[in-house]
Amino acid sequence: MSQESARPAPTRRRSTGLWVVIVVILIPAVVVPLWVPLYLRTDPTLWGFPFFYWFQFLLIPCAATLTIVAYLLSRTAERRDREDQR
Amino acid sequence: MSAVAVSVLVFLFMLVTVLGFAAARWRRADLTSLDEWGLGGRGFGSFIAWFLIGGDLYTAYTFIAVPATMYAGSAVGFFAVPYTIVVYPLIFLFMPRLWSVSHRHGYVTPADFVRGRYGSRWLALAIAATGILATMPYIALQLVGIQVVLQVAGFGGSNAFEKDLPLIIAFVVLAAYTYSSGLRAPAVIAFVKDTLIYIVIIVAVIYLPHKIGGWDHVFRTVQSSFDSFNKENADAIANKEASGKSFITPPIAQWAYMSLALGSALALFMYPHSVTGVLSTRNRGVIRRNAALLPAYSFLLGLIALLGFVAVAAGVKVDNPQQSVPQLFENEFPSWFAGVGYAAIAIGALVPAAIMSIAAANLFTRNIYRAYFRPDATPREEATVSKLVSLVVKVGALFFVLALSKSFAINLQLLGGVWILQTFPAIVVGLYTRWFHRWALLAGWAAAMIYGTWVAYDQSSPAQKHFGSPLAKFPFTDTLVYIACTAFIINVLVAVILTVVLRALKVDPGVDQTSPGDYGADVGDADVEAEVDPHRPAHA
Repeated sequence: MSQESARPAPTRRRSTGLWVVIVVILIPAVVVPLWVPLYLRTDPTLWGFPFFYWFQFLLIPCAATLTIVAYLLSRTAERRDREDQR
Repeated sequence: MSAVAVSVLVFLFMLVTVLGFAAARWRRADLTSLDEWGLGGRGFGSFIAWFLIGGDLYTAYTFIAVPATMYAGSAVGFFAVPYTIVVYPLIFLFMPRLWSVSHRHGYVTPADFVRGRYGSRWLALAIAATGILATMPYIALQLVGIQVVLQVAGFGGSNAFEKDLPLIIAFVVLAAYTYSSGLRAPAVIAFVKDTLIYIVIIVAVIYLPHKIGGWDHVFRTVQSSFDSFNKENADAIANKEASGKSFITPPIAQWAYMSLALGSALALFMYPHSVTGVLSTRNRGVIRRNAALLPAYSFLLGLIALLGFVAVAAGVKVDNPQQSVPQLFENEFPSWFAGVGYAAIAIGALVPAAIMSIAAANLFTRNIYRAYFRPDATPREEATVSKLVSLVVKVGALFFVLALSKSFAINLQLLGGVWILQTFPAIVVGLYTRWFHRWALLAGWAAAMIYGTWVAYDQSSPAQKHFGSPLAKFPFTDTLVYIACTAFIINVLVAVILTVVLRALKVDPGVDQTSPGDYGADVGDADVEAEVDPHRPAHA
């Protein structure tokens, strides 16, 4: 994205801040599933599922929700980009 | 062998065969152009793309291999879940840029992009060759998936020919409708495949634990079974003659778990078939929306992984862990529903196998045939070559599985994951910056390919002398990590150092065909059409 902002356009793009927000929203969806020590244990269990398993299942809808929010924001950001181009 | 189960399997297989051929008429277009045959006209919306990409990324082999590792006592196999969570935010961020630049310039493959971005035929060739090499064994493994199902279903006569005949027929049929319908065939069949898989898995995860005493019981049985195995074989495990079993990932394996998840996620969308799936979508929004909706499949995958544990708890005894889930269906389901289960897995193999062979064929046509033999090939000629190559690729895969050993295909698939990740710097970093020098990227790729292949060859396990594990010690430590990740670090280091050197020496960086605006282009902008006109020459 750095490249696009390096474009000759004199004014800063209005959408830049929004793109930063989108990336920040998506960071937990990447970092938490990879943070293995966080869930490397058996207790507490839920409906018979050890923590290790149910926590990772829980991460799926959480990550999906974050991605949906990011998608909705990206629509606004892209619309602004498009208006700026005109 | 149950006649009912086999009849259901054969009936569903015939149904998708008819659909596969009929797909040529769907969204009717001129199938003699590569955009239409190989990318479905680039016009798929969210709904179709969800099925197509989902059907593409979650392959039959995944459905067989992931529960197999769990059944065999390695909870590390559950890394498939974090892996398929992490991949979507990455797709969300990276893939729309690839989509845009590809639509502006008529790129069909990732190697087309690399060629345009860096002006280097050699780098593009390296990317294309890596893609083809990594895809071939992956197709072969889809066959292994079908084979496992057929074995459990009870197909196969006394001699080798009779035993392999059903598999050969299945593949010939697949090859024929891929040839005639292109990407439309797997797109249509993906509906059937996914519907079947969802039904089977939802029924399996509710009905089976209920039948054998609840999830609580499943986990407790598995834990005590693994504990007693470890106790009985303590000496062998200490001597590394057997592998210990673990009910959740042991702390010592946390880096392995993390690096497998990350490395596989980064590698997944470098595979030519996932790029093909993404480029077939109608606009950037479709990709982003799907990144939010595709995790539904990850949930499914997690449940499938746990079926490996259910098989342990249900007392399934098989020598080949890959047969555990089909055998579980055979033992516990009424025979007609076991047939539906077999069909779900077998048809599940057809969708990715078709897309992979199309993707590999596109790579060959665009980046080898056109780049080196016929620079002025027409779209029609390209499509013809791609169709033929898709046949060759599938016959090659069949040969692989039948003539060479099955473990050879599995070893190569392991290597394929290590290899394909090495195209990441050229493709993904290239989507953001031209800072890397083309020759530095090529050198980094080569260094990582050699390192990764050599280290993977060097790993032994109680079962195999070579290619025993995707994990190896990280240099200068005792920590086991995914080989692809270590190779990737070497790749980036070499590329960074050589870029600095080559820039200082003012070596020609090549011409960049793309401009910054190309990476944000969407439908409605100049030069980007909703459906690509098949007669417009692609300016690659």
